Amino acid sequence: MPDVTIDWYVALSIILFAIGALGVLLRRNAIIIFMSVEMMLNSANLLFVAFSRHLGDLNGQVLVFFVITVAAAEVAVGLALIVTIFRTKQSINIDEINLLKG
Amino acid sequence: MGILTIVTFLPLIGVALILLLNQGENESEDKIRWLALGTSAVTFVVSLIVLAKFKTGVGGLQMVEQADWIPSWGIQYYLGIDGLSILMILLTAFISLVSIAASWTAIGHQIKQYYIFMLLMEIGMMGVFLAQDLFLFYVFWEFTLIPMYFLIGIWGGKERIYASIKFFLYTMAGSLLMLLAILYMGIKGGTFALPDLIAGRAAFADVQNILFLGFAIAFAIKVPIFPFHSWLPDAHTQAPTAGSIVLAGVLLKMGTYGFIRFNLPLFPEASVHYAPAIAVLAIIGIIYGALVSLPQKDVKKLVAYSSVSHLGFVMLGIFSLNEAGIQGAILQGVNHGLSTGALFFLVGVLYEQRHTRLFSEYGGVWKAMPVFSVLALIVTLSSMGLPGLNGFVGEFTILLGSMGAASLGPNPWIYTAFATTGVILAAVYLLWMFQRVFMGPLDNPKNKALRDINTRELTIMLAFLLFIFWIGIAPSGYFALMDSSVAELVSNIGTAVVALP
Amino acid sequence: MRVITYFFMNAFNLAPLILIFPLIGVLANGLVGRRFVETDRKTGEVWSGWFGSLMAISSFVIAALLFFSLRSQEFHAEVIYLFDWFNVPSAGFRIPWALQVDTLSVTMMLVVTGVGSLIHIYAIGYMHGDPDFSRFFTYLNLFLFFMLILVTGSSYLMLFVGWEGVGLCSYLLIGFWFDRVDETGHPMNATAGRKAFVANRVGDLAMILAMTLTFWTFGSLEFNTVFQSAVELFEKGHMVEFGLFSASLGSVLTAVTALFLMGAAGKSAQIPLYVWLPDAMAGPTPVSALIHAATMVTSGIYLIVRSNVLFEIVRASGSLILGVISAPDLVAYTGAATALLAGMIAFTQFDIKKVLAYSTVSQLGFMIAAAGMGAYVAAMFHLITHAFFKALLFLSAGSVIHGMEHGHHEIAHGDHHDDGFDPQDMRMMGGLRHKMPTTYVVYMIGALALSGIVPLAGFWSKDELLSHGSDNNFAVYLMLALAAFFTAFYMGRQLKMVFFGEPRHAAAEHAHESAPLMTRPLIVLAALAALGGFLNLPYFTEGMAAANQHKPGGIFLGLEGWLEHSIQSFELTAEGVLHMPHTSVVMSRSVAGLSTLLALAALAWAFYGVYGKKPKTADERDPLQSTPIWWFAILPLNTFYMKGVIPLFNRLAHWLGYALDWDFWHDFVHNRLIRDPFVGFANFAADILDTQGVDGLVNGAGKTVRRLASVIRLSQTGYARNYALSILLGAVALVAYFLLMVN
Repeated sequence: MPDVTIDWYVALSIILFAIGALGVLLRRNAIIIFMSVEMMLNSANLLFVAFSRHLGDLNGQVLVFFVITVAAAEVAVGLALIVTIFRTKQSINIDEINLLKG
Repeated sequence: MGILTIVTFLPLIGVALILLLNQGENESEDKIRWLALGTSAVTFVVSLIVLAKFKTGVGGLQMVEQADWIPSWGIQYYLGIDGLSILMILLTAFISLVSIAASWTAIGHQIKQYYIFMLLMEIGMMGVFLAQDLFLFYVFWEFTLIPMYFLIGIWGGKERIYASIKFFLYTMAGSLLMLLAILYMGIKGGTFALPDLIAGRAAFADVQNILFLGFAIAFAIKVPIFPFHSWLPDAHTQAPTAGSIVLAGVLLKMGTYGFIRFNLPLFPEASVHYAPAIAVLAIIGIIYGALVSLPQKDVKKLVAYSSVSHLGFVMLGIFSLNEAGIQGAILQGVNHGLSTGALFFLVGVLYEQRHTRLFSEYGGVWKAMPVFSVLALIVTLSSMGLPGLNGFVGEFTILLGSMGAASLGPNPWIYTAFATTGVILAAVYLLWMFQRVFMGPLDNPKNKALRDINTRELTIMLAFLLFIFWIGIAPSGYFALMDSSVAELVSNIGTAVVALP
Repeated sequence: MRVITYFFMNAFNLAPLILIFPLIGVLANGLVGRRFVETDRKTGEVWSGWFGSLMAISSFVIAALLFFSLRSQEFHAEVIYLFDWFNVPSAGFRIPWALQVDTLSVTMMLVVTGVGSLIHIYAIGYMHGDPDFSRFFTYLNLFLFFMLILVTGSSYLMLFVGWEGVGLCSYLLIGFWFDRVDETGHPMNATAGRKAFVANRVGDLAMILAMTLTFWTFGSLEFNTVFQSAVELFEKGHMVEFGLFSASLGSVLTAVTALFLMGAAGKSAQIPLYVWLPDAMAGPTPVSALIHAATMVTSGIYLIVRSNVLFEIVRASGSLILGVISAPDLVAYTGAATALLAGMIAFTQFDIKKVLAYSTVSQLGFMIAAAGMGAYVAAMFHLITHAFFKALLFLSAGSVIHGMEHGHHEIAHGDHHDDGFDPQDMRMMGGLRHKMPTTYVVYMIGALALSGIVPLAGFWSKDELLSHGSDNNFAVYLMLALAAFFTAFYMGRQLKMVFFGEPRHAAAEHAHESAPLMTRPLIVLAALAALGGFLNLPYFTEGMAAANQHKPGGIFLGLEGWLEHSIQSFELTAEGVLHMPHTSVVMSRSVAGLSTLLALAALAWAFYGVYGKKPKTADERDPLQSTPIWWFAILPLNTFYMKGVIPLFNRLAHWLGYALDWDFWHDFVHNRLIRDPFVGFANFAADILDTQGVDGLVNGAGKTVRRLASVIRLSQTGYARNYALSILLGAVALVAYFLLMVN
């Protein structure tokens, strides 16, 4: 069993971030995009915690709590927006929401 | 806060209260009317208090209020009253009250704005007669244009826009020359206060002929003196009834008042110099106005031109430059406000029912409206100058003044004789007017349904008649109010002009 | 008892009542009379009419009390102050409302209220059934009120109040039936009223000028002050100076008196202003009797008699108008010429009232002529007797018209075919003496009195007047004597045409006598017309005159002695005042005898000569119609005014009003010359200069931006995905940049 070094965490984090980013860019369902965003956030959290442990500095972990809090708030606002959009458009396909088209 | 400030700005309270009301519902429309009426009634009462506090037999300014306004320019908030203005204040308060009461049913739309403008109008007029600082005076003078512009432009007749713009531009154009003269004197003298400028008038004695003309043109347009009268028939025919009453009753008097208040004491030599010329214009106005009235087809236009004739008498009185002439002129100003105001009101009563002012539509109205017709007869006679009614008192005093006027040279009787022909001509056009409306057979079927005067209208008319008879029968109280101030003014002119030409 | 004595001895405090009574009548009839009459015609008319009459009678009683009070204090004049009217202290101009009670004003009061009362009563019968019954009595009382102000006023200005007031009442009463129209649809009564008022106003112009001049000359307008200082100024020979004006007293007073003449010409219907009086006959007949015969039209004579001091000063000063004629002479000639001219026009009239109207103008000319010759008492005497007989004639004429109308009503019955019937046309009358006996008798008395047949009233007054003429001014005497001859002639013609011969129209056959309410006042007036001359019986011998010169005060010495206390009994010469304490009636027996003979001859000539057998039918030509005298009906001033002056005036007014003021000054100068160029330039500035110049620049900038934006906007797809990608690319780019920079 090889040692689980910091590189593993970084790799996992990159994979998760990439999955999230691709999800945001490729999917049309607002909920899924939303979940993808959460995944990107959590990939960052993972990196914070990993480096905090590696460097013996608690600041990284403190920052994670902030991120979780912000994410929670973001979920609340985001879901509310999605619900409202659904009510008016009867759909959450984000390609149909293009009022800003120039 | 002094009583003069109160009497000037009291209508503002009414304006504020009316602004708080909603427009549109019937109930609050009545509230607006009552509020406006109440405010002007209270203002009238306050003006009576001013009268009660007024001391006769004193020449100078009374109840003076003075405060710095723009000190760096020597501009003050300076109000005061004397024998030259007391009657004008009372007239303004009375005419405002009456004209608001006269609009009760005549004005059907945008009631809120209408009464606000009426009250603002009152503020402006009061200010004009009370201001003793030239700059303050000018502000009030121009301010009166705005409400009247809207009164004509919104609630007027068919060509109201043309008339209101003409009214505004015409009077505005004249005022600008006055503004130049005011600025010249104020900057040169370091103060805009009238009494100070009169005391220091030697400073601009060399250019006083030009300054005199600057003021004179502004006032002449307002009066209006022939040939500056062309805005008047338009404004009068297009204005709503109350607008005509205010216009004839007070606004025109601002011009004659201006001559007495500013031109005579500020530029006595110039006044003497120009007196014969202005007297000639005044006499042309008397005759011309009377002649032009005769063939008119529109009742209101006839009354409007008759104003040119009547105001000619007032101007002749002023430029007689003696006690009788000037006092007669001030009183005749009041008389003209009463009789012409009443005539416009009566025309308004007919207009409300028939929606026409053409003579050809009337005839024999006496049979349908006996009470109304008798009242109209009395007012017509008052305008004609029947002794025992107010018009004669002013007219005769003016003619007395002009007959003895040193300012008109060694043969003042020539001026007087020509002016007196106005007496005949007035009978010609007024009786012709009366005959065409009230006499003859009642042959237009639309006139048969005319209702006689109602209680509100009768009350207004009785108020007019009270003064018409009072001034006609016992005017000595009115003369007592102005006698000392006028005597002082005349003696000032006399000392300034030691040797008459 | 003491109360009664008080009333008779000192009624001066009651003097204001003489004005208040008619005023009450005005208010009562004016405010509630109409409702009263409309509710119940019969009792309403009785109340309304009798109340008005009662007020007139009450005023008469007060006038009578004043008469006795004046007697009791030796005819000393009183001025009763009421309250201030004008008071301009700094100009020294103060005129109170005050009543002058002296013998002259009391004489006028008695005439006005006496004749007025009778006419009021007559009018109750005459106006019966008129829908505006109470309005009529309102006007009558108002007239009485103003007429009494005119005669009682203590100043020229108060006289002027009455002067204009009676003019107003005359206007209202002439136009009383203002809705009646003539064949062309023109309301002729209203127009006649207007004509009267305007003609009067021409006189008023003169009055106002005269008053202003008087004020500056004497510093007052009150009779007593004016006359007193006039005499003083004359004695001292001072110049009149005010302002920069300066002239001799004589020339100023010449102007004043000439202006008074012009005023009197307007009110008393003299040349050149008499034209309104014949038209004034459009009013109801009681009005013609009261206003246009007995009272109002005589106020011009009252004015001249009242101002006798001024006229005498002018006479003494020798000032002439334009160096030709002195003002009093001008008065005399005006009066005489009017008497003559109107007397001739009266020949040519067929309307019973118009004959009387021209006769009135003519008789007023007599009075004016007398006043101009200085025969003030004779003028007043003729004024009084004329009031009696002319009121009588008019009222009788009214009775005739009434009778004719009823007669016409009777024959017309139902079918109202208008056959051109005019109840006032004398050609339709004839033979009425049998139908209307009372009216006939009183008319006869009036006509003979007017013609000057002894011993009726007109004889005494006219011959006193003519005697003065033969003494003072022979030319005037000749004109007046000729006018007197004409008077008798046209009255003879009228008597013949109305009462004698055979009826020339069915209406005249069916006419019958008027109601007693109308005839009784006629009988009273007939008595006055018959006996009125005894007011001023001349003393036929000098011994009698001398014996009566110094009768103690309190005894009525006849009009001459009575009026002496108001009319200054002095003569002015160039040296000063000569007091002449007593006068006596001038009456030349030869003059009187000659004029009576002439009058009788004229009556007979008209009666048996010219109109002896004519006219037989209503459409027969008048015998005079082919003579030159007929020209006077068409030629004189009226035509000149109606065809010349008035159309010219109207055209001038129309030209000024429409061409000059509107088309030229209002439209052309203001709109075309000032507004249009301004608007034109403004339009040029707005449409060309601004839109294509200034606005072009600004708009160009805007367009460029817009074009650019249309390209750039393509990048905005609106798809969230694209925005997210761009964020990502941006983040990558930033990271790449930092990595490269670090390295």
